[in-house]
Amino acid sequence: MADSPEEIKKSIKTYLLVGAILFAGTVATVLVATVPALDIGGHGFDHWDMWLGLAIATTKASFVAAVFMHLNHEKAWVYWLFGMGLFFGAAMVFLIFLAKGDPIHYDRFEDGGVSAAVMSE
Amino acid sequence: MEIPYVVNPRKDTGLFNSKIAIWLFLASEVMLFGGLFSGYVFLRIGADYPWPERTLPVLPGLINTFILIASSVTVVFAWAALKMRKWRQFQIFMGITVACALIFMVFKGVEYGVKFKHQALRMNDFTMVEGHIGYVKAKGGDDHADDHADDHGEEHGDDHAADYARDVHGEKIEANQHVFAAESVAFNLARYHKPWAEDLIAEAAREGVEVKLAETLDFNAGEGGEEPVFEAGTVLSMDLLDDLADAYADNLTRNATWRKRYLRKAWDIKWEDVEENNLLGEASFAADFPKALELESDERKKAYTRWKAGMRARMAQDVTIDEVKLSSGSKPVTIDDESYASRELPAPGSAKFTCSKPLVLRQKSHDVITDYKADNSTISLRDGTSLAGAYKPSPMDFHDVDGIDFQHLAMDAEKRNLDPEITIENSWLVKNNPVVADLWTMHKDAIAQLEQNLIDHYGYRKGKDGKPLEDAAGNPVAKRVPTEKDRYRMGWQEIAYYMDLLDKHEGEGVPKIDLPKDANAAPKVTMTPKEHFMGPDYGTRSFPHLTIPRSEVLLDAKFTPKWNSYYAIYFTITGLHGLHVIGGAIVLAYYLFFGRSMYLSNPEWLANRVEVGGLFWHFVDLVWIFAFPIFYLM
Repeated sequence: MADSPEEIKKSIKTYLLVGAILFAGTVATVLVATVPALDIGGHGFDHWDMWLGLAIATTKASFVAAVFMHLNHEKAWVYWLFGMGLFFGAAMVFLIFLAKGDPIHYDRFEDGGVSAAVMSE
Repeated sequence: MEIPYVVNPRKDTGLFNSKIAIWLFLASEVMLFGGLFSGYVFLRIGADYPWPERTLPVLPGLINTFILIASSVTVVFAWAALKMRKWRQFQIFMGITVACALIFMVFKGVEYGVKFKHQALRMNDFTMVEGHIGYVKAKGGDDHADDHADDHGEEHGDDHAADYARDVHGEKIEANQHVFAAESVAFNLARYHKPWAEDLIAEAAREGVEVKLAETLDFNAGEGGEEPVFEAGTVLSMDLLDDLADAYADNLTRNATWRKRYLRKAWDIKWEDVEENNLLGEASFAADFPKALELESDERKKAYTRWKAGMRARMAQDVTIDEVKLSSGSKPVTIDDESYASRELPAPGSAKFTCSKPLVLRQKSHDVITDYKADNSTISLRDGTSLAGAYKPSPMDFHDVDGIDFQHLAMDAEKRNLDPEITIENSWLVKNNPVVADLWTMHKDAIAQLEQNLIDHYGYRKGKDGKPLEDAAGNPVAKRVPTEKDRYRMGWQEIAYYMDLLDKHEGEGVPKIDLPKDANAAPKVTMTPKEHFMGPDYGTRSFPHLTIPRSEVLLDAKFTPKWNSYYAIYFTITGLHGLHVIGGAIVLAYYLFFGRSMYLSNPEWLANRVEVGGLFWHFVDLVWIFAFPIFYLM
């Protein structure tokens, strides 16, 4: 990472550029969500808008992590620590999709136990 | 003692102490927020009501995003300045960072404040109404605030303090109350809320109503002991309530002590029987479970252990406070020849009082837990107090209704295979309020035009073969159609637009909507910059006022976690994020204001500390980068 005063001086421009990218990304996120002419997918909010919004957010977050948090040139330990955090954080989201993908829905219990009775026969 | 590696990195990890610590901490933070965001996803995909998408005003969120990004840049600059040994520059950039944090929290506070004042209501047919509720006036009879200015007086700095009734905490009382003429009052002696009881006594004195104990409460059960007896007809006072509560608590404790002794005695009797007759012995086991003899030694031991545990559980059922079942029959449980029943003292959990004439009480909606429709002759309060009598008209008076939402009603109608539009036309609000009926007529008209505009502009969908796609009924499928939110929700911009038309064409029937032939045309007023931030300007715009009878109210709440799971997760994530902003700002401010001496003695150490504080600050920014689009734009 940039550690000597000379290297840091050189990095200032990069920091400003990343700041500008973050501002631009934020404006882009708002525009695609609020200006009808820039609306992708169907009319109004739909999954296309969701993926686009999350993609812009992820790009912005990557810049912050890589440049401001110096993850573009860090020691292996940091990658391991943060990587594990990200992995388990993502795993929690994945758990939800496991629950949603479960073929046995809780709806089954909302029909007065009829399905459960049928199943046990 | 000198701590190693605060300035120079360790050789094995290549990191100084605090850096490895902050990355460990950030890893745990990622999992914390990851869990909360996955909670958001879970709530959203599992919601059994139309999720309020794009419901928050975007501008405050956008400004806050800019502020956090700017502070992320300045905190890096502050660190770089330290590395280059420029103390003055460090002070400037760190000062800006801390100021950004403060501004962020002020905006957040304003945003939260608006939510806490905004009233929502779900009616029995799932119509949602959003708006504002007035305050009860200090003088006058059935005193719902009826002046438009009253509603927002506080916001305009026009708060005539003396004009409003105040509760025991000095807070203004909202005109959203259950007015009830109580003929009798039953206090829960374990948990009645003293301020409410004091209010009730004061109200009775003001109205000249005598509130007296309905029946004699004898805590001795008529045996003339030391416990108090409260005669029927005693007038309600706080002292009386306190004495009743004490007597109840005393008897409860005393009874509990005796119960424990009797149950212990009962178990002793049972255990004597067990030992005398060797009921848990191997012989009993073999008699009860003859097949055990065929088992291997180890297996038999395990089976015996399990059998003993089972037997103990069964034996517990033989023991009651009055009687123990033994192998030789039953035996009563006594201590000094007395049974528990003869020692038990009465401990009535509630004390009922009757009123000499109906006592009219006003209870805040928040404090009432009774379902009005279940029985409108009783009302239960949160402290367990129960009032019996009759409801007086207790409508919710909405001023400046800035949202009428039929999405949930439409969803419910579709679930029951009913036509949503017909169901909306038959809803209580449209049938009983001519203004809402007009608004709905105009809205339907507008949405029909929007639908046509979208077809004209984008056309129909085509299959792979180039032929137009058709739905099950044989109709062509449009590429773009209005959303459910477009169709069934009238937000404040739509309502203001329609109300404006109604005002302009007063007396000419329902005005015709004439949307421009543009795919992006919407029946909405254009927001002023202030409205972008603070929401509608109630002073210049026109909004309907509605009175909803209490019998139509299913749930009423401010825009707080009580209202729905969207606001629950919104406050959880943004609140926790706000705490991080405050925590981070305190640490950075500490470096700014108390870092000078360290800078002079060991500048590299301070630079390392600022780097670590900065890493946390960037993480706070990272969370917001996701929170902003998710809560404000999706």
